[in-house]
Amino acid sequence: MKVFLFCVLVLLAILIGAYLYRVLQGPTIFDRLLGHNGISTKAIILLIVMGIYFERVDMFIDISIGYALLNLVGSLAMAKYLEQKEHS
Amino acid sequence: MATRSRPVSSEFLFFKAMALFVFWVLLSASFEWIHLGLGLFFSFIVAWLNSGHSPFVPKFRLWLRILLYLPWLFYKIIQSSLHLSKLILHPALPIVPHMISVESKLRHHAAVVLLGNSITLTPGTITVEVDGSNLIVHAMDKNDEAAIKQMESKIAHIFKDEEPDL
Amino acid sequence: MDILSIIFIVAGLFFLIVAAIGVIRLPDMYSRSHAVSLTDSLGAFLMLVGIALHEGLSINMLKILVVLVLLYILNPVIAHATVRAALRSGLKPLEKENS
Repeated sequence: MKVFLFCVLVLLAILIGAYLYRVLQGPTIFDRLLGHNGISTKAIILLIVMGIYFERVDMFIDISIGYALLNLVGSLAMAKYLEQKEHS
Repeated sequence: MATRSRPVSSEFLFFKAMALFVFWVLLSASFEWIHLGLGLFFSFIVAWLNSGHSPFVPKFRLWLRILLYLPWLFYKIIQSSLHLSKLILHPALPIVPHMISVESKLRHHAAVVLLGNSITLTPGTITVEVDGSNLIVHAMDKNDEAAIKQMESKIAHIFKDEEPDL
Repeated sequence: MDILSIIFIVAGLFFLIVAAIGVIRLPDMYSRSHAVSLTDSLGAFLMLVGIALHEGLSINMLKILVVLVLLYILNPVIAHATVRAALRSGLKPLEKENS
């Protein structure tokens, strides 16, 4: 189980790399915002799997709940900010 | 709180405070008296500060019907997830992105929120703009419109006994 | 129980990988947002259910389910806000005619 969880962690990190490609490469600013949303969802899952791996779920799960709530506020603020500007 | 426009209903305040308190207990996961008392105090403070917003209290039968609606929604999510995965992994990428303008007959704020959330949660369709009870939906496949119509009729069935407020 | 949770986690990883391929492959921003919502709805659900099964019945399992409910409520809101911002600032969706 430990080895399997380690493989899951590595795979999740590689997937975050795929989203990072979209953030760095994206033609418009909204592609970058979308990549950021995807990365934050992956980060929530990654934190919980990491908690299982290090056997400290009680600590990591609180971090991931806080991350989910903060991510909502941050993404909404960025979307609202970019809505008022004229980007193409 | 000078801009409070609606009167505070004490029943609504109580329900909101209880929901916040359950969330507090789940987060703190400790049952000592000092923690429970602090949680109760702060949940009532926060519920009172926010009591000007959204006086919508769903009735019990509405909760029950929404709860019965969720398994069907989950079945649709699995179905369209598999369909969208097939489209993405197909070498020729046979997607047909287009905009659908849905003019729904729903007359409740909560019903429109539920419809928009369900559409966005289902992979392959995403709600782009909401104006009153009309929605603009971006879809990936041709037969997504029929699925949205079916979803709308289900939600209209959920809300058929309530007072219209839109 | 471990076998069941491994099956769930592998199924979730499959959807996460498909979503990552979609984010790289799909042609325009609106289509890519569909791929991200695929991750949010089914991939995260299967992963978190698998982890909760591995954890067993405890307060931690309850908290994992709270994270799941939060994801299901908050992610449509974020996706909708992003796409609406794109439409309002004048990004044209790609209309592809191959039927």
